[in-house]
Amino acid sequence: MTTLLAPAPPDVEGSRLHRLRHHEVTAWVTMLVASLASLVASFVLSVEAVTLAKDPDADLGCNLNAVISCGTVGTSWQASVLGFPNAFLGLVFEPAVIVLAVAGLAGVRFPRWFMLAAQVVYTIALGFAYWLFEQAMFEIGALCPWCLLVTLATTLVFFEMTYVNVRDDNLFLPRRVQAALAGFVRSNLDLVLVVAWLLVLVLAVVVEYGEALFA
Amino acid sequence: MSTHTRARTQAQRQVRQAEEARRARKRRIATAVGALVIVGLVVAIVVVVVQAAGKERTLPEVTGAVVAPANLTATGAVPVGDGAAPVTLEIYYDYMCPACGAFEAANGEELDRLVANGTARIELRPIAFLDEQSRGTEYSTRSAAAFAVVADAAPDRAWAFHTALYAQQPAEGSEGLTDDQIAAIATGAGVPAEAVDRLSDGTYRPWVASVTREAFDSGVQGTPTVKIDGAVFGGNVYQVGPLTEAIEAAAAS
Repeated sequence: MTTLLAPAPPDVEGSRLHRLRHHEVTAWVTMLVASLASLVASFVLSVEAVTLAKDPDADLGCNLNAVISCGTVGTSWQASVLGFPNAFLGLVFEPAVIVLAVAGLAGVRFPRWFMLAAQVVYTIALGFAYWLFEQAMFEIGALCPWCLLVTLATTLVFFEMTYVNVRDDNLFLPRRVQAALAGFVRSNLDLVLVVAWLLVLVLAVVVEYGEALFA
Repeated sequence: MSTHTRARTQAQRQVRQAEEARRARKRRIATAVGALVIVGLVVAIVVVVVQAAGKERTLPEVTGAVVAPANLTATGAVPVGDGAAPVTLEIYYDYMCPACGAFEAANGEELDRLVANGTARIELRPIAFLDEQSRGTEYSTRSAAAFAVVADAAPDRAWAFHTALYAQQPAEGSEGLTDDQIAAIATGAGVPAEAVDRLSDGTYRPWVASVTREAFDSGVQGTPTVKIDGAVFGGNVYQVGPLTEAIEAAAAS
């Protein structure tokens, strides 16, 4: 086996998890899977938006109880804050992420400005996703499973895109910041951060809705 | 290479190694702190979930003599509407329960209509299992006991008082409405003054506790539980439509 012949890892960072994490395909595969999931969720939410437009009282498959209710979320003003259902944005933008991920897997190296632009656009998308999450949690008072999937997938794509861009020095950052971020990523602290981040989301949901979810 | 230069490069290498070691130590500390945070979050999630899952069975204790309000049905519910209506709709609810508020908001007007046109009569079963959700003011029990006073003294105002309480439902986890606010709502719903004066006297608190326990003993899992002619209605009760259809179908059969 080649792994046995490979030179001994320099330190603990050479663990199997570390190698998997920093393997060329990992970030792109994660991005691809997450953006596909987001696209599916956007598609379902778009269909529901059309159904709700026809009949605001339509009984949707994911209206499980008062808390888990796509209908409640879908009929809120926040769900079409730009004048059309937010889910349409997913239908437009997720395929771009999918293409990006597939190209990355195929070994395409994009110009730095391209990746910087992708990072900027995706950061805005992340902000939007989290605004919606916050509104659903604390203003609308209901959760919709497909929206949560979009929140999760958007977070994963954001982290992987940032990982790639920090690793490849695509962000035109001051040298000291770039070096610090690269060290952060090399020591897998970004992985620690994303796990903690997602756990905070889970904690927020169970604290706010635990009883309703399990009652 | 002179001895001097060699010594210098060696010194430089040592400085670099020391720098590298310091950085590695920093990273290990950061990773350890991160791991601790993750473990803490997981523990917090488990604690919250276990508490939430265990909470639904904290029922009030029956303290004191159980005095039932007058005007109840034979099975102990508060009746609304024409006793001869073909369909009986039983509703188990807690005034603090947000899902019950959502149920009321969605179906209230339809129920008004179905009662008014004689299709259905409603049997209200107030229960109090969310007393822990009102910061010690026991809003669930207080409001249900106040409702029992209205059922007893002004039965024709019971439904109006019931819907008015939900129209001004406090948030779960807040202190709930004060006794004065409940009294004002009752007055607004047309409850006569002598009954309003009795709302907070606690006469029916033991009755509320006992019907709450009976409800859970009879298999009620949570609120709102809605029964049509004795059978639990499993459809969506948070949007107007399905419940009305089921009631009308039951009336037609």
